[in-house]
Amino acid sequence: MEVGMLPISSSKRGKLLAAGYTTLDAIARVSPTHLARDIDVSDGEALEILNLATKASALERPNGTHSAVVGGGQTAWDMLNDEKFSSYITTSCVDLDNILGGGIKCTEVTEIGGVPGIGKTQIGIQLAVNVQIPREYGGLGGKAIYIDTEGSFMVERVQQVAEACIEDMAEYSHHFHKDFQTCDVKMHHNNIFENIFYFRVCSYTEQIALINYLDKFVTENKDVKIIVVDSVTFHFRQDFDDMPLRTRLLGEMALNLMKLAKRFCLAVVMLNQVTTKCIEGSFQLTLALGDSWSHSCTNRIILFWNGNERYAFIDKSPSLKAASAPYSVTTRGIRNSTSSCKRIKMM
Amino acid sequence: MRAQKVLELQQQSQKCSVGCPVLDRCLGGGIPCNSVTELVGESGVGKTQLCLQLVISAQLPPSLGGLSASSIFIHTEFPFPFRRLRQLSRAFLASHPDLLDPCDRVFLRAVHSAADLLALIPIIETFLLHSPSPVRIIVIDSIAALFRSDFDNTGSDLRRRSSLFFRISGGLRRLAKRFGIAVVVTNQVVDFMGDGDVRVGNLGNGLYSSGRRVCAALGLAWAHCVNSRLFFCRDDNEKSRRMSVVFAPHLPHSSCEYVIKGEGLFGQETTSV
Repeated sequence: MEVGMLPISSSKRGKLLAAGYTTLDAIARVSPTHLARDIDVSDGEALEILNLATKASALERPNGTHSAVVGGGQTAWDMLNDEKFSSYITTSCVDLDNILGGGIKCTEVTEIGGVPGIGKTQIGIQLAVNVQIPREYGGLGGKAIYIDTEGSFMVERVQQVAEACIEDMAEYSHHFHKDFQTCDVKMHHNNIFENIFYFRVCSYTEQIALINYLDKFVTENKDVKIIVVDSVTFHFRQDFDDMPLRTRLLGEMALNLMKLAKRFCLAVVMLNQVTTKCIEGSFQLTLALGDSWSHSCTNRIILFWNGNERYAFIDKSPSLKAASAPYSVTTRGIRNSTSSCKRIKMM
Repeated sequence: MRAQKVLELQQQSQKCSVGCPVLDRCLGGGIPCNSVTELVGESGVGKTQLCLQLVISAQLPPSLGGLSASSIFIHTEFPFPFRRLRQLSRAFLASHPDLLDPCDRVFLRAVHSAADLLALIPIIETFLLHSPSPVRIIVIDSIAALFRSDFDNTGSDLRRRSSLFFRISGGLRRLAKRFGIAVVVTNQVVDFMGDGDVRVGNLGNGLYSSGRRVCAALGLAWAHCVNSRLFFCRDDNEKSRRMSVVFAPHLPHSSCEYVIKGEGLFGQETTSV
């Protein structure tokens, strides 16, 4: 679909074309301030154009899939371009975002594992809130699906994280968009609650059934941008004598999640537990569900204690280099570790 | 299966008071329903006391922090402290004369092995479906006693043991979800042996009790089976006792001193961190 089709005044259309915006995709990929500067209109007008463009391009792709993917052929060049514009969900911890290249990436499956109490559930909750940060603030404005297998999802905690997130957005808009009245923070934590779909799962059969059903669910609720599974492991450590069966079931489930991630351009985050593994007589910590499972996710992040600080380590990723970063869990949610804040202040 | 919007869930997960406002504040309102809470501590530190107090204060009406509900108390250590329960319930009756005798609303069951406990879960489920009065608390005191003798330190036995952990915990969590129950299990401690152990939770310099460095019994696999873990310890001189949050999805790391009196367990206001 071309820019010419947009229901805007011809002078603006002319400005867009003169600035090189010929396709809707090109418009949808810039921020409102950028657009305003490029075509010399007010921020409010730019936002309006942006909204029209995103709506129109969503209409064009009713299934949310790229036509090229359906056709089966996509050149590496196209993929590289897509990659450039792929979206990230911030973790609210700058250090962690830095090593992740911007946050948790949409279209990919990310596994996060660690010992009890390290903050896996906290990261899950934070992501379910952060995915809803509106586009004007650099977020995705999406919805979240939270699959809870352990019963650790606490609404009061979501409320704390959501309120802190809204406060941060208000501060951000105060600093950078003084004249940007239109998107003055009008969110309430109830809006955030409304956009988290919560599933409590009580057995592994339910878990598999739910993940098979998600395809339909996400088709009906297009805005879903993240699926958090907390934890993927729990039910699969209960009743299995038949280990090959377990491996097959897990493999199929991971494949389904990966398909969802690609098809709807959403992020899948699976939280995993840890277990000890006997390697040449000594016991080492490793993520649960065995070696074959470690192939089923694109990225793997391991959380661990280092002294009194929490650290995240990228254990596996096709595009990121192995790195670790400290983070902390505060009342407001996941944040930079306090000691690294101090370091920045000193510099 | 249906998606629930978080908005439709209860805004604050329901809590059951432990019968002392100071401890309740430390726990963000009490023991959460739909969740498994573990109390860890060495013997004589007051775990059973707190459990007894919990099953009694659960009978208070919600306006006073309770659940107006009966409890199931599964005990694995013998004998059951009847006399102490009687003592606590007399104190309770004295201050709440309009309520029934709390002893009438505590269902007791002894369990001798992990397999028994596993078999008991479906029985409890049927019982809860037909119970005339609502049951909202299940206490297991203690889970560690069931596992500390029957298993060898070999690979296959350990695997069998952790599989049992996950099955028991899966069953308890299912009950907790289905009936809105607060599940409380108590656990013992073992001495900390060198660096082989994994740090779990918030207490950075380790858990200390009576001057010894300890860690929760039953290992890492069991730690994944509970939602929250509270640690109880006492000092060398046995003068001060302290409750700390090791991990919990809804609580920051905090701690609170407490004393045990004739009428029960009470938090001390002054030294909450």
